[in-house]
Amino acid sequence: MAAFDFAPLIVLLPFAGFLVAVGAALTRPGVLPKGGALPGIAATVGSLLLSAWVALQVLAGDRAAETVYVWSAAPAAGVPELVFSLLLDPLAALMLLVVSLVALLVHVFSLGYMNDEGETGLPRYYAGLGLFTASMLGFVVAGNLLMAFVFFELVGLCSYLLIGFWFREPGPPSAAKKAFLVTRFGDYFFLVGLVGVFATFGTAAFAGPESFPVLAEAVLAGEASARTFGFEARTWFSVLGLLILGGVLGKSAQFPLHTWLPDAMEGPTPVSALIHAATMVAAGVYLVARVYGFYALLPTVLAVIALVGGFTALFAATMCVVKREIKQVLAYSTISQYGYMMLGLGAGGYVAATFHLLTHAMFKALLFLGAGSVIIAMHHDEDMWNMGGLREKMPVTYYTFLAGSLALAGIVPFSGFWSKDEVLYEALIHGLAGSPAVLVAYAMGLLAVLFTGFYTFRMVLLTFHGDPRTETARDPHGVGWSVKAPLVVLGVLATTAGALNAVPVHEVLGFPPEYLHDWLAHDGGQSAFAALTSEHYGELLKTQAGYASAEVSSVAAGLVSLALALVGAGAAVVLYRGPDPDPHTEKLGAARTVLYNNYYQDEYQAWLAESFVRPLARVLDGVDQGVVDGGVNAVSSVSLFSGRRLRYVQTGVVSNYAALLTLGLTALVVAAALVGGWFT
Amino acid sequence: MILAALMAVTAAAALVTFLVPDEYAGGAAAAFSALPLVGSLLLWAGFDGRGNALVDGEVAFETVSPWLTLGGYEVSWHVGLDGVSLPLVVLTAVLTTLAIVSAWSAIDERRSQFYGLVLFMETTLIGVFVSLDFLLWFVFWEAVLVPMYLLIGVWGGPRRKYAAIKFFVYTNVASLAMFIGFVALVLAAPVQTFDLPTVAAALRNEQISALLGLSPGALRTAAFAVMFVGFAVKVPVVPFHTWLPDAHVEAPSPVSVLLAGVLLKMGTYALLRYNFTMLPETAAALAVPIAAVAVLSVLYGAMLALAQEDLKRIVAYSSVSSMGYVILGLVAYTLYGVGGATFQMVAHGLISGLMFMAVGVIYHSTHTRMVGDMSGMADRMPVTTGILVAGAFGYMGLPLMAGFAGEFFVFVGSFASTTLPFAPVFTATAMFGIVVVAGYLLLAMQRTLFGPFRLDTDYEVQEAPLRDTVPLAVLLLCIVALGVAPDLLFGMIKDAVVPILQGGGL
Repeated sequence: MAAFDFAPLIVLLPFAGFLVAVGAALTRPGVLPKGGALPGIAATVGSLLLSAWVALQVLAGDRAAETVYVWSAAPAAGVPELVFSLLLDPLAALMLLVVSLVALLVHVFSLGYMNDEGETGLPRYYAGLGLFTASMLGFVVAGNLLMAFVFFELVGLCSYLLIGFWFREPGPPSAAKKAFLVTRFGDYFFLVGLVGVFATFGTAAFAGPESFPVLAEAVLAGEASARTFGFEARTWFSVLGLLILGGVLGKSAQFPLHTWLPDAMEGPTPVSALIHAATMVAAGVYLVARVYGFYALLPTVLAVIALVGGFTALFAATMCVVKREIKQVLAYSTISQYGYMMLGLGAGGYVAATFHLLTHAMFKALLFLGAGSVIIAMHHDEDMWNMGGLREKMPVTYYTFLAGSLALAGIVPFSGFWSKDEVLYEALIHGLAGSPAVLVAYAMGLLAVLFTGFYTFRMVLLTFHGDPRTETARDPHGVGWSVKAPLVVLGVLATTAGALNAVPVHEVLGFPPEYLHDWLAHDGGQSAFAALTSEHYGELLKTQAGYASAEVSSVAAGLVSLALALVGAGAAVVLYRGPDPDPHTEKLGAARTVLYNNYYQDEYQAWLAESFVRPLARVLDGVDQGVVDGGVNAVSSVSLFSGRRLRYVQTGVVSNYAALLTLGLTALVVAAALVGGWFT
Repeated sequence: MILAALMAVTAAAALVTFLVPDEYAGGAAAAFSALPLVGSLLLWAGFDGRGNALVDGEVAFETVSPWLTLGGYEVSWHVGLDGVSLPLVVLTAVLTTLAIVSAWSAIDERRSQFYGLVLFMETTLIGVFVSLDFLLWFVFWEAVLVPMYLLIGVWGGPRRKYAAIKFFVYTNVASLAMFIGFVALVLAAPVQTFDLPTVAAALRNEQISALLGLSPGALRTAAFAVMFVGFAVKVPVVPFHTWLPDAHVEAPSPVSVLLAGVLLKMGTYALLRYNFTMLPETAAALAVPIAAVAVLSVLYGAMLALAQEDLKRIVAYSSVSSMGYVILGLVAYTLYGVGGATFQMVAHGLISGLMFMAVGVIYHSTHTRMVGDMSGMADRMPVTTGILVAGAFGYMGLPLMAGFAGEFFVFVGSFASTTLPFAPVFTATAMFGIVVVAGYLLLAMQRTLFGPFRLDTDYEVQEAPLRDTVPLAVLLLCIVALGVAPDLLFGMIKDAVVPILQGGGL
């Protein structure tokens, strides 16, 4: 169990990096070389190595769910104690690797993006990155829902701080506020759900026989009881599941709480890559996967998850089609891709969704860092219509970006093809076998593939192909090794990660093994962890959620989505190839305005906040001052003092007040004593 | 004896401070206030009490000596500490010292009188929290008003007279109501003493007779109601809150720190000690209206905070909102509910103290508190801004800070309450306050701290000196420490809450 003993260090090392950077920022900002990047890099290297060690230990069959810190001890029987605990199992080990790897690469990339560009306030930047990395890793290893919520909120804080990094401009602070507020709205439901889980089960643990998913299963089987507040058990659990889902929708930027993510692009691009693409946004989806044993009991909630996911995938993909800024395309694309993961989870594809989480982290971090490289080259101009022809000038960025784009569009054999295909396949087979909601979600997800192919290649062509459309694009700024190295690492991973789980190939050839299925299926021979395996989830989906599987070839399903992706990509190539492409957006007619305005989602939310809630607050304030306080003043001037006497009282000197007060106090006590009859 | 010594030292410090020349008064007061601070920390370290002081408790540092007899009723000097009162004594000592240090910049006239009054107020506040005899307690309870009245009325802003008189009259009338209510209960109970544990035992066993034509049940309800209203003014609970913003706006910042940080807790502390400990059945019977008032305080206070343009009014109204959670926790009558409410008293004391202090630091540099008068202060005051942002997130209930711990305990306790009908509905509604608080604090921060620098007053703005930022940093550390390790205080709180709850549960 040696590796597991060091597991807390995975979280604590980046936290130490944070403390070092804060200390430097407060005392001597120049004291750290590279503005604090080096401690951060050292810490994330340490976290990555320890994560790899933990993963090897998990591979060897070890699992752990242990309390590391008692936050609030139980003083009496029947009262839950609130603890911080670690849960180390295949899912957590996988996510630890993803988070620490991307965090490391983003730290390195920041040397090129922040340090070399002469930014000020670097210790603050690296402090934010360090705190974020620590909080995200803490979230990943969280062993119960309370701890998950704690770190869920902390990553939200870091997101706020880093989006608002350039606080002297008006845009970033506003975007930061919106990001925190919208996700806080989601977290409100999560917190209600969390409190409800405690009230219902008396525990919020994820693993073990006393964990709440296992208890819920037992309650539904009639083998245990829980406090369900007068509801039928499954109904009440569904309510709890939907409440927790509120936090998921906020963090993973799912409709209708997706509006903060495009604004969050105001932050530095490495932050977008780390927080708003690969990791923090994944926290919502990861949470559902983490408590999948609970969700698998609740068919209604699963249907909601699938529908929200499918809808978001399509809805966000359509908005990408008209965007001008490269980071905006990527932001809406991120929303869309998390929609696929939700679709996968809702459709019963636990492994598929986890797979897509993994590949997406790689290729979307790659695309954001590639966009960052382009933005450096373009002197911080993000408009794709000012780019063009960057292919020759920056080949490393181009080829890695292309690898990421092929993965995003879902072109075989790049990683995104395998994972998105598997998500859609799971939705199809479960949908066909009698789950119409899932089938509808599948249809939306499938249609989104077309749009994804289109917007991805529109982005690639506008940025890298054709003739340069501005002076800047003709003579771009060079980028150094610290930018190229992370791109190459992620480029290789985005190309090859699909081999982890090439289901259609396995179906035809019988090899390679479906590594990820195997990884997530086993409990390592420890029965306490049997309830956290994909095998168990499959069982629950069948028996509790009533999911059946239709017989469909994964090869055929894969060919359908591949064909759609190619059609979309082909359409983009036809429209936007050539030295000087035309925008073509006017052909969309009225739809263009709607798409440019993001379906007016931002407008109605801003209206709700600014034109409804704030005026309501002002009205209440008027009522408070006029009626409530007015009443108080009226009472006091009528019964206690006449207006004239009040003026007299107010014009005295301080010693008079002291005398008056003392007298008043004495009179009060004497009067009360007389009423009480003490002097008789 | 040790508590008497603590209070005597503090009172002596107050007297000496009155005599110290103005230019040394600040330093002397800070040095003197270190005595009760160290004393209270020693009490915390040496605390050996168990259970609740009023119900089956082993009271720590207890002293009982007969004082006088009033109409056959014994009044005694009965002081002592349990897990509920000790955290509040520590809070008082910590905040007083920090408020004194923060006043070095803020107060520049009649300094020795100012610091003397602050120390005198500390004496009376400690008296409120340690007294276990009603009449003794009531003397301290009333005595707190005198220094506070003078601190607002002499050192306050332009409308200080109005605010001070409003504060004094309002809370004094409330005290009268509460006094009558409690004395009526004592007269109807089979006791010949004002000793609180004795009275509590009698009342909890429902051994009271009819009085003045009221049946025992009606008397309990009536007494509960007037006592509740009397304490609710102090908390304050909507709709008795309107004295608070006026008092805060006019009071100098260090006084606001103590007003929000400690004085409001007198109200919730008294509610816990009297209403909820002595009349649990009545509290349960009235649970729905009380919870409604609590939810109203949370949401209405938060909405009012959203409408304010003055930073101090924002923090003042958010206090109304936060104290609503305390009421909710009390009425839930579960371990985490009542314990969380007590913890929230301390947490809110520290956080609101930090916020008022930080607003004071900004005011001292800019000479304005209006949100619209400034923007981009982060550029000129990075350290103050950093601490203010951290404090604001504490107010929003960011995990691993004290506010989250207090609110989370209250929410867990109240959601699971069996005393309160529709507990999940009340809890979930009140919890929406965590969204509104984020709304108004983030909006205010965005407008004042971030964006391009602009200031509409003619002052050079630069980073505050260390003597202003160190108290802020100390408070922030306390807030984080209690958020990471709430059991530093919550352990003894839970122990003291268990006996008053009949039965277990969350």
